[in-house]
Amino acid sequence: MSLASPLREVASQDADKEVPTDPYQRLRQLLLGPEQAAIAGLQQRLDKPHVRAEELSRIIAEAMVLRSRRDHALQKALDPLLEEALRVSVARNPQLLADTLFPIIGRAVRSAVANSLRAIVESLNETVERSVSWDAFKWRLESLRTGKPFGEIVLARSLRYRVEQVFAIHRETGLLLAHVAREEGARENEMISAMLTAVQDFVHDSFVETEGAELDTVELGEFNVWIQHGPKALLCAVVTGTPPRELRNALQRTLEELHSNFASVLSGYDGDTESASGMRPLLETCLVGRQPRGGKRTASQAWLWVALPVAGLLLALVVNLMVQRHRWNQAIESLRAEPGIVLTSEETVWRGYRLSGLRDAMAADPAEIMRRAGVDPVKVNAHWEPYVSLDPRFELPRHVAEEKARIERQVILFRMNSSQLDPQQLLGLDDVEGSLRSLQGYAAASGSKLRVEIAGHTDPTGPEAKNATLSQKRAEEVIKALTDRGITADAFTPVAKASQTPFVWKSGSYVPELSRRVTFRVLMDNEQR
Amino acid sequence: MIQKKVCMIGSFGVGKTSLVARFVRSIFSEKYHTTVGVKIDKKVVEIGEKQVTLVLWDIAGEDALTTVRPSQLRGASGYILVVDGLRRATYETALDLQGRVGEAIGPVPFLCLLNKSDLRERWEITEADVEALRQRGWPVLYSSAKTGEGVEDVFQELTTEILRVPNVRDDTANEANRRGI
Repeated sequence: MSLASPLREVASQDADKEVPTDPYQRLRQLLLGPEQAAIAGLQQRLDKPHVRAEELSRIIAEAMVLRSRRDHALQKALDPLLEEALRVSVARNPQLLADTLFPIIGRAVRSAVANSLRAIVESLNETVERSVSWDAFKWRLESLRTGKPFGEIVLARSLRYRVEQVFAIHRETGLLLAHVAREEGARENEMISAMLTAVQDFVHDSFVETEGAELDTVELGEFNVWIQHGPKALLCAVVTGTPPRELRNALQRTLEELHSNFASVLSGYDGDTESASGMRPLLETCLVGRQPRGGKRTASQAWLWVALPVAGLLLALVVNLMVQRHRWNQAIESLRAEPGIVLTSEETVWRGYRLSGLRDAMAADPAEIMRRAGVDPVKVNAHWEPYVSLDPRFELPRHVAEEKARIERQVILFRMNSSQLDPQQLLGLDDVEGSLRSLQGYAAASGSKLRVEIAGHTDPTGPEAKNATLSQKRAEEVIKALTDRGITADAFTPVAKASQTPFVWKSGSYVPELSRRVTFRVLMDNEQR
Repeated sequence: MIQKKVCMIGSFGVGKTSLVARFVRSIFSEKYHTTVGVKIDKKVVEIGEKQVTLVLWDIAGEDALTTVRPSQLRGASGYILVVDGLRRATYETALDLQGRVGEAIGPVPFLCLLNKSDLRERWEITEADVEALRQRGWPVLYSSAKTGEGVEDVFQELTTEILRVPNVRDDTANEANRRGI
């Protein structure tokens, strides 16, 4: 290539530029022209920020990625910027952030609340159950001995589930490959595994449209059957309690191991359990967990069912005894407070009480006092010695009783077939009058009613009809005599007894003279007027 | 212990369930028929020295509403086709079923059981029909759920046949396995 062409090129490039006249300058331009142009271009790039920005924008993302892979300097540098940017953004337009968070905030709050509630409930349960139990004591000891935190031991020891049985089932035939259980029993495992397969097929055929979706959990009360599916075999674990998710992973791992270790057995299983017996140790590794507390609780609940009624019975007995004791004390109190009753001794004996003391005939009935206090008088063996109380409260009643007795002792006699008062009998009538006046005063003072029954009698001779009239007349005669003397009883009641109650001596001999008579009966009602 | 899956197939009401009721161990109730569509029973058969546990899939009867599902047949080593001698329709169904089952699980041993042999005089199925089945190469047996006649023989014969015929489902891995042993 000749020199002329580049020169021409330069000349044409710089056609619009001023061509230097100085030969040196001209030579320089000729020799260094392109470099000068390049330098000028570079200078321009450096001088004009928008050009640099333009260039930087093409590589900044890659640069950031590269840098962030190397170290965290970029993150650290950006951190305050981002914070500030966020702050400015929120300050300027809070709604933006609210709108952005809206779709997730509800879910976030819900799950946070649910989680913390669950944690609270769980920890409450734990606290209540563990704080005072024998287990807690054992675990504290273990914690002290091993130096592990108490919480860790509680977690490790209180897994509340247990794998009870594991079935390995041949997928195609539903035949049992191997079975392990914590408690070996004569179970019909072949039938169970076939039925499990049938149930799965049923669920699959009936409800599941999508290919590959399988029944993986069957819940039966406290039993869970967890089914893990592999291409050639199923693993079914019968679990009590609440198994953790990790159990699923453990089952899956076992199933995978089963497939890799027993590939030949699985692909041509002909029902010969001998060929699959090697699976048992592998299945046994799945028998994890410990007795769920539920089981224990049932035992203690059973104990409770026995203990509760017994405790209830005992409690009832004790309460009953206390109530009886209280009633008895009440009764004793009442007896001591009662006028005319002096208690000298009281004791509790087998199935009852013994009492002894003095009792005025005027005093209240002790049996009635017992009954009022709630004590069955039948249970009380009481011995009361009679005495006369000087209690002023008895003075008046005693007087009344005496007057009453005096009146009732009186008999007014009549001659045969006569209702005329014999003058000799007036003395007796005087006596009755006196006593009646006394009772009248008492009745007025105490607000009771005085009633006197006056009964006329005859001897048995003569017709009874006539005797009735005669006895009535005799009674009326006496009433008349008393009212004549100014006695006003609330009620004088004449009673015609005829010859029904003749006077008879104790020896049995009948005395006609003494039968023709009038007798008295005093009734004091304590009725308030 | 050797286990084999055996299906019991036939029209509704041919007496599959009552046929085996007295001869098998059962822990599941009749209810499974109407719910899951199959009831599992177990029958232990002794063939010479060998003890074979037949896991019997008593499949709910085929009728207008229910059809035998392939998933229930899958993996069976043999099957029993039950026909009610009193009803010719069940004979037709059995012919149809045998074809479908063969398609589903291949040529595994099976037996055709003509049930209710205690009522032979009232049968709708004739000697000619039975001969036709035999012509097809079907092993035909008579049975009576009422008298128990022939039932034990059914299990014996089928099991013998199952043990004699190599497992048709065995793939090459199994073959290798067996040679290895």
